[in-house]
Amino acid sequence: MSEDDHMDLNRIEMSVQELLTEMKDISEVIVDLAYAALVYNSREMGQRVNELEDEMEELKYAIRVKALLAARTLEDAKQLSGILQIASAADRISHAAGDLVDLLEVPSDKRPFITNLINESDEKIRMIRISPSSEMAGYTIGKLGVEANTGMKIIALKNRYGWTYDPDDDVKLRAGDDMIVRGTEDGGNRLAQFASGKLPWEWDEDEEKEEEAVNDE
Amino acid sequence: MNNIENMLLELKDTSEFMIDLAYSSLIYNNKEIAEEVEDLERKMDVLSEDIQEAVVNLGKQQPEEIAKMSVVIRMQMAIEDIANAAASIADVVIRGLGDHPVIQMSIQESDVTIEKVVIDEKSIMNGHSLAELRLGSHCGMYIIAIKRDGKFIYGPSKDEVLHAGDLLIAKGPDEAADFFIGLADGSETEL
Repeated sequence: MSEDDHMDLNRIEMSVQELLTEMKDISEVIVDLAYAALVYNSREMGQRVNELEDEMEELKYAIRVKALLAARTLEDAKQLSGILQIASAADRISHAAGDLVDLLEVPSDKRPFITNLINESDEKIRMIRISPSSEMAGYTIGKLGVEANTGMKIIALKNRYGWTYDPDDDVKLRAGDDMIVRGTEDGGNRLAQFASGKLPWEWDEDEEKEEEAVNDE
Repeated sequence: MNNIENMLLELKDTSEFMIDLAYSSLIYNNKEIAEEVEDLERKMDVLSEDIQEAVVNLGKQQPEEIAKMSVVIRMQMAIEDIANAAASIADVVIRGLGDHPVIQMSIQESDVTIEKVVIDEKSIMNGHSLAELRLGSHCGMYIIAIKRDGKFIYGPSKDEVLHAGDLLIAKGPDEAADFFIGLADGSETEL
């Protein structure tokens, strides 16, 4: 990749700690996204995996440069070598995720077992739509605390603007949005009931809900 | 094919669990957990070989399935890479290079937090099984390991009953951490 020749200057300004945090986060989300791409046979999600893979590559180069600049003593160098080993492992995970989405090129009738396999895992991937009667509609992912309340992590969200992968806490859920989530079967069933409006959302504190409902207007 | 699917499923679930354990070993700079990752890595190697052998045998018997078999092998290799990466993370701890504040802090700053709590006598978790508590669905925290009487139980089953004094290592979203800590020390009384 020729663009790797010039290092992203923004990344160089990040600290070793910030770089490592970002690499760890990507290493976790990228595998989920790769499996989701296979389950939903989605080239678009596969594409996003490849983009994250490239991003990880840049982060890896940046953290190497930062680590080399930081080493002054033998002890520094030893400690930093440990950090670089973690960074390199995170990078390897992203390449493995890239290899998984390469399987999208295989005709889907040659890989029917992959979907079954992923859905028999302890943590399942499913798509859940927000119904107009759901109490979740109109609130941000962070305000709802979707993962804290249901154990389900939103891997991707499809709304009127298109797909968002690994959506941030400030993204608002609306009726008609499709969420691709990952977690236990039990958690998925609970979330499906909240999303369909069969169960009212379990707010931690009622006043927080009022507050945002007003701001929403 | 069923047998191969089951083996591949075990490979996949173990690889994900290894990543959780590897990051847990880092955040607590805990060699015991890191060694468990290495043990799992050895099991993954055996399982990978079994899968490859089964695939070759099936390919001999049913040459028309070759295309599927190649998908199995590609998937097995990608998953094994993930497991190897997890082992490489654990190796940092085993070699004594994990004790750097930058490592602990970068994992704490992550979107996904790893928490260590001890169950208090008055905790609502005391005396209940993981199946009864359904911590994942109710507070988003997933138990990676339990330490009881000085021994770790990795990836506890749903039937595992929690007791006062148990140390839990759990993973989940940042915002769930305080509630989870409250559940363990007894200040939160409702799930």
